[in-house]
Amino acid sequence: MKAENKNKILGFLWSFLNPLLLLLTYIVLMQIIFRRGGPQFPILLFIALLSWTWFASSLGRSITSITSKVGLIQSVRFPLAILPLSGIIIGFFDWLFGFVILLPMLFIFEASFTVNILWLPLLLLIESIGIVGTCLIFAVLGTYLSDLSNIITFAIRIGFYLSPILYAVKDTVPERLTTLYMILNPFAGLLESYKNVVVLGLPPNEYALVGMAVSFVVFVVGLWYFSRNEYRLVKAI
Amino acid sequence: MIYVNDLGIKFKMEKRRRSGALAFLLERSRNWRRPTGEFWALRHVSFTVERGETVGIIGSNGSGKSTLLRVVAGVYPPDEGKVSVDGEVSTLFGLGTGFNAELSGRDNIYLDGIMMGLTKNQIDGIIDAITGFAELGDFIDMPVRTYSSGMRARLGFAIAIRADKDIVLIDEIMGAGDVAFRQKAMVEMNRIMGEKTVLLVSHAMSTIEQFANKVIWLNKGVLAAMGEPKEVIQQYLAASKVKKAPTIIE
Repeated sequence: MKAENKNKILGFLWSFLNPLLLLLTYIVLMQIIFRRGGPQFPILLFIALLSWTWFASSLGRSITSITSKVGLIQSVRFPLAILPLSGIIIGFFDWLFGFVILLPMLFIFEASFTVNILWLPLLLLIESIGIVGTCLIFAVLGTYLSDLSNIITFAIRIGFYLSPILYAVKDTVPERLTTLYMILNPFAGLLESYKNVVVLGLPPNEYALVGMAVSFVVFVVGLWYFSRNEYRLVKAI
Repeated sequence: MIYVNDLGIKFKMEKRRRSGALAFLLERSRNWRRPTGEFWALRHVSFTVERGETVGIIGSNGSGKSTLLRVVAGVYPPDEGKVSVDGEVSTLFGLGTGFNAELSGRDNIYLDGIMMGLTKNQIDGIIDAITGFAELGDFIDMPVRTYSSGMRARLGFAIAIRADKDIVLIDEIMGAGDVAFRQKAMVEMNRIMGEKTVLLVSHAMSTIEQFANKVIWLNKGVLAAMGEPKEVIQQYLAASKVKKAPTIIE
């Protein structure tokens, strides 16, 4: 399922350019126009943006993953879960490409490297479990509800601003609301943790546990819901 | 061997099987139960196909022919009855509907092969035979969206035939392609007949008569007749009030 980025070299180039251009936009917006963010802002933004984009793009793809492969589904029997999962894997490769670009930037902007970077694989694992669960659920819903992708595009945009990507929780969210915020947005703890371990050299944010719990629940529910609906989907398309 | 006993396949009949989320909420809030009906695309269908037989499936549009092939391919699980298929299946449904239009013909061969359960090594072994048979020339490395329908049909046919599976399912495909290719396809069909089990859906009675040693006539999802090709075709044509099979210019 290597289809997506198969426009050869250009496609490859775009997986580098996309995050860079997006990054540049936000840096200009925040640092030059709003004059916010410290000297490490670009790399803090970058790691958060990469991890958010992995989630958002996988989710966006999963919604149409079933309906866009009608011909294939109706001619060969195969586990349908491959379709949303392949979108997640493509998203992860984009994350890796982005990370390769991020590495030299970490030196330029003087990120503090500590042993805490070893938490990174665990964070990725938690996020991937959450993404798999979410995408399996929305692959089913997206097949039944044809206008779902409009709603989700909007929801993803809102989610972007509600998550600590352009800002840090401790600077922006009032302290008495922090717990509430972190619980309502299970992704927030994860994003803060990414920034902590990759840029700031700190251990993960304690609210990453919320993300872990939610990811796990969503994963189990997603597997159950998808397998329950798999055959119904084949007839519904 | 394909063994089908009392098969039933049910579809939900709704105005829209897929609806918008907004529409869904509106409808749900108005009346909790949406008006639904079901219809049986196939019901009480029983037959057996022995290894090496070529079976033609005929019937008017919407009679369940394609659904039946999909059941044998394992796409639809039966809602009623039992289906057991002994052997691996390769399928050729429509004009390359399973192709990814952005990928080249070559990549699609790999994609299709993997979906049929072949390993990359196995595909490496047959890819030359496939490209040779399809005779697409340089187009094999072009995206499939640039192909004509005849070229898609060739590629699909070549894959289905060369995948070397025990059971080959072909849905209305022989008509496509030019004369030379059709001739080649006929030769190939003759070669695999007797060796492989073939289910062939077609509206071209001449094709059916030429290849099938047994014919199944489906009428509105029910098995109307099964047996000798000539007889069943006669019955089908009589029921369709056609005096003579429309002649196909070969």
